[in-house]
Amino acid sequence: MKLRRALVVAQKEVSEIVRDRIYCALAFLLPVVLMLVFGYGLTQEVQNIPLVIVDNDRSAQSRDYANRFIESRYFEFKGYVSSVRAAEPLLLDGDVRAVIVLPALFQERLVSGLPVDIQTFVDGTFTYRLRTIDGYLQAINQAVSGELQSQYLARTTGVSNERAQQALQPLRVETRYLYNQELREIWSIAPALIMFVLTLTAPLLMALSVVREKETGTIYNIYASTITRAEYLAGKLLPNVIVSFINGILLVLIAVWYFGAPLKGDVLFFLVAMFVYVVWATSLGLLISVIVRTQMAATMVTVVLVMVFVMQFSGMMIPVSSMTGANNAIAHSIAAMYFNDVVTHTFLKSGGLEASWREFVALILLMTSFVSFGFLLFHKRSKS
Amino acid sequence: MGETALVSEFRLAGKQPPHFTNQSIIKVEAFGKSYRKTVAVSDVNLEVRRGQLYGLLGPDGAGKSSLMKAVAGVMSFEAGNVGVFDVRLDSEAASETIKDRIGFMPQGLGLNLYPELSVEENIDFFARLRLVPEHELFERKQQLLAMTRLAPFRNRLMKKLSGGMKQKLGLICTLIHEPELLILDEPTTGVDPVSRRDFWIILSNLVRERGITALVTTAYMDEASRFHRISLMYEGKVLAEGEPERVCEMAEGSVVMLKSASQTQAIEVLRQVFPQVQPEGNWIRLFVDGAKAEEAVLQTRDAMGELTVNRVHAEETELEDAFTALLRHKGLTSLDEETTLGSVNMETNTESLNGIGIEALELTKNFGEFTAVDRVSFKVAEGEIFGLLGANGAGKTTVIKVLTGIMPASRGSGNVAGANLTHLGRAIKQRIGYMSQQFSLYTDLTVVENILLYAGIYGLRPVEARARCDWICTMAGLHSHINERTSRLPVGMRQRLALGCALVHRPRVLFLDEPTSGIDPIGRQRFWKILFQLSREEGVTVLVTTHYMSEAEHCDHLVLMHAGRLVADASPEVLKQEVETEVGRILELDSPHAKHALEHLAANGFNNPVMFGKHIHVWSKYPESDVVRISDLLGLEHAAIRVRDLSMDDVFVHRIRSLERPVSTVTEELMS
Repeated sequence: MKLRRALVVAQKEVSEIVRDRIYCALAFLLPVVLMLVFGYGLTQEVQNIPLVIVDNDRSAQSRDYANRFIESRYFEFKGYVSSVRAAEPLLLDGDVRAVIVLPALFQERLVSGLPVDIQTFVDGTFTYRLRTIDGYLQAINQAVSGELQSQYLARTTGVSNERAQQALQPLRVETRYLYNQELREIWSIAPALIMFVLTLTAPLLMALSVVREKETGTIYNIYASTITRAEYLAGKLLPNVIVSFINGILLVLIAVWYFGAPLKGDVLFFLVAMFVYVVWATSLGLLISVIVRTQMAATMVTVVLVMVFVMQFSGMMIPVSSMTGANNAIAHSIAAMYFNDVVTHTFLKSGGLEASWREFVALILLMTSFVSFGFLLFHKRSKS
Repeated sequence: MGETALVSEFRLAGKQPPHFTNQSIIKVEAFGKSYRKTVAVSDVNLEVRRGQLYGLLGPDGAGKSSLMKAVAGVMSFEAGNVGVFDVRLDSEAASETIKDRIGFMPQGLGLNLYPELSVEENIDFFARLRLVPEHELFERKQQLLAMTRLAPFRNRLMKKLSGGMKQKLGLICTLIHEPELLILDEPTTGVDPVSRRDFWIILSNLVRERGITALVTTAYMDEASRFHRISLMYEGKVLAEGEPERVCEMAEGSVVMLKSASQTQAIEVLRQVFPQVQPEGNWIRLFVDGAKAEEAVLQTRDAMGELTVNRVHAEETELEDAFTALLRHKGLTSLDEETTLGSVNMETNTESLNGIGIEALELTKNFGEFTAVDRVSFKVAEGEIFGLLGANGAGKTTVIKVLTGIMPASRGSGNVAGANLTHLGRAIKQRIGYMSQQFSLYTDLTVVENILLYAGIYGLRPVEARARCDWICTMAGLHSHINERTSRLPVGMRQRLALGCALVHRPRVLFLDEPTSGIDPIGRQRFWKILFQLSREEGVTVLVTTHYMSEAEHCDHLVLMHAGRLVADASPEVLKQEVETEVGRILELDSPHAKHALEHLAANGFNNPVMFGKHIHVWSKYPESDVVRISDLLGLEHAAIRVRDLSMDDVFVHRIRSLERPVSTVTEELMS
């Protein structure tokens, strides 16, 4: 293997990436854009739900109750309305997602110890959101009624408020969210997105760069010359791996600085693991480029394959531990799962080589085998 | 004796002697290649010897490229043997061993070059890929850049080069590692005539001086005489093999040219007797099977009977004639339906166009700072076949797009089919038919569906549409294919269908943008026959672009475009005569000491002596006296020097060259 020849190919590749505007945008802009778009799109947290309240009682108690919702960060209070009828057009236009109706005699019934029916209307067009809003409503309501109960008990029995509370709720669950104390969804999504974006763009870049040569005919310069397969592939992989690695670093910076995700673990180890992963992903692109002939096909195959990999087998959407049989086997033969583990560990669990050495070994093995596959399948004498 | 002389000559020049030995460089035996179920090539045998310039000629789909790729060791194949430098290319590993000795340029003008790299960067890339030492690279680069006159453009990005320059750069990149065998796939397709000629001069010099062997494909039949030997290919088979002249002779018979006042009638009469009759401008060109020249002329006169014969003479058989004849003799012509306008009248709108079909007045089209069309003016008489010629990128397609109202002109005006371009852009579209360069048919629809679709687009009523459909099928000979998917039709038939679709609304003016590129000669002749009938019988004005110079002869009136401007405007005959008066005719001579002869001729003030295949061509204003002078100078027999008629190619090369610089300086540069 003559390093010089590999470098000649690499150098040409760099000139082309830098000078071709579309190619350059594809190489450097696409990953960043994907990261930002998906970063926002995949955050499923529901906050600031627009809310109106119909208060038919207008008493101190009803106002107190309403205030509990008004002050919550989950709801954005849009004001009181006179009747349900008046709230209806707001719901229809989507200006308001929830309506709470406090009945007349709210205070009177409460004081006399009678139950009060509170009616709520929630926009059900999007069931995921519906469930979340319903959850919030129930939770706040429960908290208020709990307090009312203990107040009532304290008043009637003469014990302290605290004692009454304990008596009423002998068992209490206290959950602490580890690694993501503030329960911010973007914290767990941003690291996974680094995996996702790299899994998509690195193979795409490589596949297009080889297939483009097939499409135009420049590949014949390679076929017809004395450069060996290994030299050509090395020259082709090198710049594409470097570009994707630079992108990886950009993505990490976006995750940390823009989305505010914590990077708690061993950064150096993470970068090494990311490099190995990028080589794997790039050689996946090489494998794709061997089987397709047009850039269109290369794009389609890459996108479909990567979607399946990420959605199904990376553990980003479905935990791999819940998979059985073939699914489990496939997941384990794709590097996405291992890298997803490394990413989440490093970002959220202060991980390093010690914690992720198994994954790291798997990544190295997969990288080596994929590069070898690419080498074995690439030929300088084609069938057509 | 010839051999020794050549060797000593090369010793003096300090070069390796070329081995005109019998060493075989390429040996192909019973070669066959299939793509899935389609057989691309079968049972091809050929042998190329050291120092030969070997040509593979044939239309698109003949299997030339498959063979080239196999010889270059970049494609596997199923049947037969391919041997290059005594290496049997039966595996990837075996193929690798020849690659330091070959240079391969794949098909497609400049497609194997890197558009984002400059001229020099491209050359460097190719050289370093081959590990050419840097000091040698520097020297070779200088030499090759000078030879191709690309030196001033070394820093220009490849994507900004013209077609001719791309082709030369491609050649440099293929030559930079000094291969012994050059494999060039359609290097001249889409290149202007001048660049083509330059290319051939460079190539034949290399072959002669460095003993390089070259295998070259071309779709231009008129380039045959550039080669030492050719194989004529058609549909994956070799039709004939040998020296170009011998291949022409293999089609037994003679070409007769005839001029008659009643051309249309004459053609009809002659077609009943001879199978190969076609109009060429005001002339009729026909092939008389199995007859020698004089006998053929007699037979033609007989066949004409009562009809007036203004002029008649026999002519040398061109490869295109031979190709058609060979196909016929071997029974390979597809049993296509006869194409005829028949008795079905086109029922064209008889609205008079005042004798003017198309008129362009100072048309200019700018794209940003680039002027694609620069003050172009011409006038096309009604019912005329008008040829718009020029290389890729000369501005032909832009002229058509402006005249058809697809694009607005930046400046200038025009009239098309009686409608003014500036005011009546839309009205024009109803009066014209346009067949674009790209395929305008829907390949998943059947023949009938395509026609009815176009009828619908032009707003024909159903009854009318049916009638037109019938007419088109008769005209294009498609009746037995009406329910076939367009994608399954052969190229020639598809092209006739596209023509039919362009005629569906009975236009008075027809625009055809490279309608025949890639079609075999027979298909092209058929197509031209229809055009001729349309023009003569229906009075349709036809504007056609082509880069086949041989097709230019079919036109009544020609213009040549070069870099957006018109450089010639007249009938083919007048154009030839003009050049003949200016610089004379071409003398073709054979000399066993080609290099010596070329030097002698140039030293004695002869105009532009160049190698043309095995022959030397030289311009001569006074052919008779020059024949004597040359034969004395070179010690040749008079019979070894022939006076050739000018071809359209000669005309255009002269026209463009004389614009660029005086012919003599070009010659000096190329010869030095």
